Amino acid sequence: MKKTTLFALALLVAASAFGQAKKPTLMVVPSDNWCSQNGYMMEFDNMGSTTRIPDYTLAIQDDPDLINVVSKINILMADRGFPLKDLDAETKNLARSRAEASMMTSRSTGGEVSVSPIQQLRDQARADIIMQITWKVNVTGPKRSITYNLQGLDSYTNKQVAGAQGTGAQSFSAEVPVLLEEAVMAHMDNFSDQLQRHFDDLLTNGREISISLRMFDTSDVDFETSYGDEELLDIIDNWMEANTVEGRYSLSDSSYDYMDFEQVRIPVYNERGQAMDANRFARELRSFLSRAPYNIPCRVENQGLGQAMIILGEK
Amino acid sequence: MKKIAILLTLAATVAVVFGAQGQRRAQRRADEATAAWKYEIEYARTGGNNMLLVKVWSYAEKPEIATSQATKNAVHGVLFKGYTSSGAGTISQRPLVQEPDAATRHQAFFDEFFGEGGDYMKYVSATVDGSTSVVKVGKKEYKAGVVVTVNKDLLRSDLEAAGIIRGLGSGF
Repeated sequence: MKKTTLFALALLVAASAFGQAKKPTLMVVPSDNWCSQNGYMMEFDNMGSTTRIPDYTLAIQDDPDLINVVSKINILMADRGFPLKDLDAETKNLARSRAEASMMTSRSTGGEVSVSPIQQLRDQARADIIMQITWKVNVTGPKRSITYNLQGLDSYTNKQVAGAQGTGAQSFSAEVPVLLEEAVMAHMDNFSDQLQRHFDDLLTNGREISISLRMFDTSDVDFETSYGDEELLDIIDNWMEANTVEGRYSLSDSSYDYMDFEQVRIPVYNERGQAMDANRFARELRSFLSRAPYNIPCRVENQGLGQAMIILGEK
Repeated sequence: MKKIAILLTLAATVAVVFGAQGQRRAQRRADEATAAWKYEIEYARTGGNNMLLVKVWSYAEKPEIATSQATKNAVHGVLFKGYTSSGAGTISQRPLVQEPDAATRHQAFFDEFFGEGGDYMKYVSATVDGSTSVVKVGKKEYKAGVVVTVNKDLLRSDLEAAGIIRGLGSGF
């Protein structure tokens, strides 16, 4: 009897833990435009062409206004029960991870851990929603005002899901930090309202991602290969219908050697209670295709939180 | 002499009773005007600590009631009406209560909230002195414009706790 009660209690705890969706993570970062205007960009050689990416670490270290703005937004969001990932703390963690990775060597070959520049860029800002801020101080004679723009970008789709922007009143006497604080406070409510609508949509209709399928030219099959009465394209299409929220997805383009799915709405959590992203969803499709009767070897290429590519034909 | 004293006392009593009744009637009509959204609210300026400074134009039979009604109208306006930006340097504010049927669904709560000595007073921290302007707009109607400070954050968090409005993380 005691065992039964304990088991029932354990089930209850597990059910409540999985029944409640985890909050999306949010982080405030300065926009690329602001970083560029203020000289906080770094360059790397991307296979022959120079690519510029924002240097958040330098921006945080150098610009006191940025820290004030990030901190104020963090406070206001925490007041709304939504504490944010702190950019300063994240950049420090990242620096430490990189330092640790650079110290690692293979025991057998002495090889080092490689971190590509693209991976470095992805690592800089990892959150479900990136709150990107831009501001500019306007000076007209002795008067100053602030033009402020806050964008909430969904990392899965890169779509703007919330935004607030405007130019504050001109002031003779107020200092820039005061004008900035006013701008942050003035626009936060409207931003939060839009964010809430996005969260409502997320909880009702699932996360939006994109999935691409490609074929190695060495593959024995293509998307027009028949299995029974159906072609592989139809089989994948049916799988998407069965595994998306209320069958919401769009097969935007397809041919014998590729399929592109857009606006794919996946559940926020899978049956095991694990948070879903494009990579995990693609791995489930890969698992389906690699089982009998299809037995197609596939590889999943992760392309960020909201995009994944499955290449069929080889591992 | 005694009769005159009695008559004077009676007259004074009647005057006080009718005066108080008139005041109550005027207040009741002002409350009805609030419930019927008969007021205007606009952005005044940004306050410190996320306070809202709004200018509220209220209508009443007596100028002093129109002025005092401004605090109630300010909270009502922030909750249900919001306001739009009226040009450069001004900011729009969406109403805190977004569901259109919230006022009727939680009628008992709002009746008490906006009642005599209701909780709405907690969120109006001050009326800015010297900012009041009163205009006679009808034979028996005054319009008073008052700048009011509303503690929007406290109002929002209390209403979230009471289950009247939803918090940002309420679905998670």
